Amino acid sequence: MSREPILVARNVTKQYGGFVALGGVDLTLQPGERRALIGPNGAGKSTFIAVLGGQQAVGPGSTVHFAGRDISGALPQEIARLGIARTFQINRVFRRLSVLDNVRTALLPSNGRVFSVSERHLTALTSPAMTMVTGLGLGRVAHDAAETLSLGDRKRLEFGMVLATRPKVLLLDEPTAGMGLNERRSLMELMVEHAARDQITLLFVEHDIDIVFRFADRITVMSRGKIFAEGTPAEIGANSAVQDIYLGTEGAPS
Amino acid sequence: MSFEHVQSRWLFAAVSLGLAVAMLMLGPGIALLATEVAIMALFASSLGFLINYGGMVSFGHAAYFGLGAYGFALAAAKLGLPLWLAVVLGPLTAALGAVLFGALCVRLTHIYFAMLTLACSEIVFTVLFQAYDYTGGDNGLTNFMAPRFGLSPQIYAALTVAIVALCIAFLARIVRSPLGLAIQAVGEEPHRAAALGFSPRLVQLVACVIAGTLAGIAGTMYSVFQGNAFPDYAGVGITIDALVMVVIGGVKGFYGGVFGAIIYVLLKTFVSRAFTHWELVIGLILIAVVLIFPTGIAGLLQKLGLSRTARPSGEQHP
Repeated sequence: MSREPILVARNVTKQYGGFVALGGVDLTLQPGERRALIGPNGAGKSTFIAVLGGQQAVGPGSTVHFAGRDISGALPQEIARLGIARTFQINRVFRRLSVLDNVRTALLPSNGRVFSVSERHLTALTSPAMTMVTGLGLGRVAHDAAETLSLGDRKRLEFGMVLATRPKVLLLDEPTAGMGLNERRSLMELMVEHAARDQITLLFVEHDIDIVFRFADRITVMSRGKIFAEGTPAEIGANSAVQDIYLGTEGAPS
Repeated sequence: MSFEHVQSRWLFAAVSLGLAVAMLMLGPGIALLATEVAIMALFASSLGFLINYGGMVSFGHAAYFGLGAYGFALAAAKLGLPLWLAVVLGPLTAALGAVLFGALCVRLTHIYFAMLTLACSEIVFTVLFQAYDYTGGDNGLTNFMAPRFGLSPQIYAALTVAIVALCIAFLARIVRSPLGLAIQAVGEEPHRAAALGFSPRLVQLVACVIAGTLAGIAGTMYSVFQGNAFPDYAGVGITIDALVMVVIGGVKGFYGGVFGAIIYVLLKTFVSRAFTHWELVIGLILIAVVLIFPTGIAGLLQKLGLSRTARPSGEQHP
């Protein structure tokens, strides 16, 4: 742990009216690590991801630094352009666009072509997009509208879209939710493989404990808006207090 | 770019040219009617672009039609500028209005966006209606030029069809471009788009300005066509007309506005001759469209394999 951390969140707070969603969360990510974020429903995991992604504004006194740069209060698009990408808990793709166009669209901001009206600029993105689409195993549905895809394929597509932004940190909010047991593992393997290849730091929220222990280098446990424990899978597995918060509150992991 | 795509471009150009030439052979009455259809087709297409691709349902699109008309008419009638300059100033006025109103309206979404656009167009209408010294109030601006610059109905119809075809070709180009993808992406999933690095409001503003400018061109052409300008050109009635055209034509396809305008204007013209309550017929058709074939005429034709929607993909088969 001698390297410079890539993401440092300090004292992150978030309140909705009187409800404290995040009560001072600290989290440090080292470059290239795969961190799982777990905890019972309502622990604040998704809110924390939304703060890092800029979808939620941070409360007073909170700071988030990315690669040494203060990004607290930055807009989602600014954060995305800096290199923090995310997927959503509820799958979000451009349903009316084809699979290929979803990826070509994702390539536009980093290529500086958002406001181009030249069809050639779009055609130039076809081959890199097609490589991405094939790499995700979606080659055979490349020209189909995204809305016709299965949930698993849509999750692959959304992952491909965020990958196309060339992120340094990837935030995955329940990447395998709603999937069958076998598909969960193959989907996670695909994501981890791509992340390792592109040296992307992963922070993923996950309820499936098998997936968590199989794929995470380190695990952070949240409960009631605070960090409850943090450690290697072995340390967390041996921590009886962690098991208590899962069994002692409503919303045990599915 | 594939053969299919090039082919559809030539087909579009050939059909447009054929239509423009055909205008020259019509009787004067039919030529006037065709001109109105063409102008409304452009106006409805610009609104359809905003709704179908940008995901923004505007209740105030007539503001830009009115600004296009008055931008031209005021420049010609009150400032005494040469007509060619006035013709350019009309759409420019609408574009400026779209920058201003667009920047305000894209701050909100859904019904709040719609209400804000309605408020903006009501402001335009009220100003045109009240600023009597400049706009002539509800008497409008009249007798400052010969309708159609004195051109014959046939020649003006041909000219209008050609300009409308160019504008629609421009819209098709936008839809197939990177900007078109950006507009659709932001229109469909603004949060996803932002998290990919798009600035949603900026993209929406650009879409508003494109749609507003094209609506302004329609407004200017209408003012030249009639040789006048009235506050009603910015009224909510014209917006509703265009909304109905878009729904009848099809809220998913590219040519919905064109089909909708043809049907709407023809019905309004011919049914109203035989039957005073022509709105009743429009209402029944609207109910039928929404309930039976919600993708509209364009969607129906597409299902029958007679038409294709202009989408960025589809033409990209390797």
